[in-house]
Amino acid sequence: MAKPIPRTSSRRNGRISSRKNARRIPKGVIHVQASFNNTIVTVTDVRGRVISWSSAGTCGFKGTRRGTPFAAQTAAGNAIRTVADQGMQRAEVMIKGPGLGRDAALRAIRRSGILLSFIRDVTPMPHNGCRPPKKDVCKNKH
Amino acid sequence: MAASSFLCNFLSFLLPTKPPPTKNPPPQLSATSSTQHQTRKFGDRLVPLVAQEGQPSSTSSSLSTELSSVIFPSLAYANTLFFKSAYNVQVIVDDNEHEERLLNRFRREVMRAGVIQECKRRKFFENKQDEKKRKTREAAKRNRRRCAHSSQDSHRKTSRIPWQTRRKKRIIGIYLKEIFPIERILLNLL
Repeated sequence: MAKPIPRTSSRRNGRISSRKNARRIPKGVIHVQASFNNTIVTVTDVRGRVISWSSAGTCGFKGTRRGTPFAAQTAAGNAIRTVADQGMQRAEVMIKGPGLGRDAALRAIRRSGILLSFIRDVTPMPHNGCRPPKKDVCKNKH
Repeated sequence: MAASSFLCNFLSFLLPTKPPPTKNPPPQLSATSSTQHQTRKFGDRLVPLVAQEGQPSSTSSSLSTELSSVIFPSLAYANTLFFKSAYNVQVIVDDNEHEERLLNRFRREVMRAGVIQECKRRKFFENKQDEKKRKTREAAKRNRRRCAHSSQDSHRKTSRIPWQTRRKKRIIGIYLKEIFPIERILLNLL
């Protein structure tokens, strides 16, 4: 959604928008970050440069509804719609995080007609690294 | 640090450019990967050397990369050409697979890897007491399952192989998975 910051000199100012539209990417990577409260879907090229992104929050859901699978579905649909007319045919899917959005986003991606090559789970796993926060007992008592 | 990166640069000059390995997964993928390989700029050629430092997560031993590059030099970079990032679970999709079946396959693989359970465990800190409780619960579950299975199979006289052999098999399996990922892909496809 945010425009990439153009790293060009003043001479090339006029040509930036045409350069952006001319990027046809036949193969890309779809990153799905599914946390408990939200789902973010980012579409990048194979090198990792972001093409477009969408999330449950930007699709109009607020609060607890962002974490639902339906929200993940709409976010994925939204993200792919922007990219489909750029001509992306094949994609890999990288799923990160626990959360209800994992399956729903995958389903939406599959239904959108993009061919999938791999589906990978890239949830980051510490080899016993940082100490996580304490158990919040007080939260459930309200 | 600068010296080592310079050395990497130098070595990558010397290494012959590798054609994509002969045992390839289905032709479409090889075509795209080969075009990718050719259009990649020089800077990415550092990737095979550098990516081997940060290894795929779960089960790799530090020996596997050096061993593989000595024994099977042509396959040494096969892994990194296709799988540049560390992942927990990978499911390869063929085109005419049904949506639900794909989802179920993915879910089953994830459950086998225990990703979501692990995430939930690491969300909050677990003191020694809780850890002990959890471990005894898991052990009880495992033992119960094993007893149930063995009581079913006892009629069929299936001897349970000792844990040393089981462990060895598992390590060899993991080793093979590291060294010959292509075989596993082909086997999975078949």
